Amino acid sequence: MEFVWIMNLVLILVIPVLVFLLKGVLGAAKSIPPTIDAIAGVAQAASRDLDAVVILLTTQNYISQIVGSVANYGGSLNVALPDY
Amino acid sequence: MDPSVAVLILLITLIIAALAVYLIATILELRKITAGLDVVLGGVGEIVTKSAPVNGVLDAINGNLVAGRDLLENLLLKKAGNDSAGLVESVFPGEGANFLRRVGKSGKVINVGVVYTRGVGILASLGRGAPIGAAHAKGPAVRDPQYSTTAAAMLYPRPGGARARPKSPVVGSGYGPKGGPEAYQPASTPGVRPGREPDDGGGAPEPSGRIEVREPEAAPSGGGEAAPAPGRLNIKGTPFWERAGAPAAPSQPAAPPEPEAPPEPEAPPEPEAPPAAEAPPAAEAPAAPAEEAPAAPGKLNVRGSRPWETGGGGSAPAEPTERAPAPAEDDAPAKPGKLNVRGSRPWER
Repeated sequence: MEFVWIMNLVLILVIPVLVFLLKGVLGAAKSIPPTIDAIAGVAQAASRDLDAVVILLTTQNYISQIVGSVANYGGSLNVALPDY
Repeated sequence: MDPSVAVLILLITLIIAALAVYLIATILELRKITAGLDVVLGGVGEIVTKSAPVNGVLDAINGNLVAGRDLLENLLLKKAGNDSAGLVESVFPGEGANFLRRVGKSGKVINVGVVYTRGVGILASLGRGAPIGAAHAKGPAVRDPQYSTTAAAMLYPRPGGARARPKSPVVGSGYGPKGGPEAYQPASTPGVRPGREPDDGGGAPEPSGRIEVREPEAAPSGGGEAAPAPGRLNIKGTPFWERAGAPAAPSQPAAPPEPEAPPEPEAPPEPEAPPAAEAPPAAEAPAAPAEEAPAAPGKLNVRGSRPWETGGGGSAPAEPTERAPAPAEDDAPAKPGKLNVRGSRPWER
């Protein structure tokens, strides 16, 4: 009979600890969805920003032309200026 | 039932209930998380899809830019030589060492923008023959930022040092027969300037350095030099009342100069006939009537031509004796636009 009373005492001490731990897990789980919602918004915005990536093809074409012009200008300078 | 057993059963029931409540709540939150992650995953997928070709495009752009940079750097290295790294350093601080590493060279980078001012650097690059363009390749900085003018002057050797400046000219030295036109020497007699020799030329008399009082000249009896009006200077430069021969009565109105008194403008010298001794022989004289005839329009006759151009065959210069007395028609006024003998200048006749 004394053994039963000892077990009751142990269970009484364990219950608050168990409740505290379960409450912590639940709080952590509840804090995740707002963060995920924010990430979803940012991802959608980043996806919209990347719509301008197509213009890089135009930029590539322009840079090719500019480098060609610079090459021609350098050739002219090579003729116009004396060497060191 | 024993009360101790009943309490035990109650406690176990409470534990199970707490576990159920909290675990169920946790499961619900995890479901929300899963739904949220699904949304995020869609956005991330779009990002990956849209950014997939960026690598290729950017690689191509970088390749073009690197090619252009290499071209310009090689051109700079070819044209500026050892100054190229310093030029890059002056424009992009910190890039001079990278430039040297890219072109495969090593050495200390001298910031040209610190060594030179902008204009000096440009001039030095344009004129490599100048000392400022040749002396800065190695060694210390050519231009001193604080004493820039002295540093620049030290590039050009100058007797007396870098700070020597041309001395101020000394009056009476440097030119003239004896080193200067007016070499002022110490005078032994006050008012007498030594070292001056009388001039042989027919110019103005040399000032003697003394104040000379000249006797007034007697007025011509014909009244050619009229007394000046009171308060005026006559041609001698002396007021008439101070002159001994001047009319003594200034109260008397001075007679106005006669109309013929003012000297007439000197007439051009008439072509004087040369002396008989200088007259050429008749045989040597050219045909005077033909040569002295009025020149054709646009041409000069013998009188109007220069003496050295009037030689018959051009063998000998014309003698001045060719200037025979002009006939009467030479005295006639020249027609407009034409020159006759009279119209030529006196010293050419």
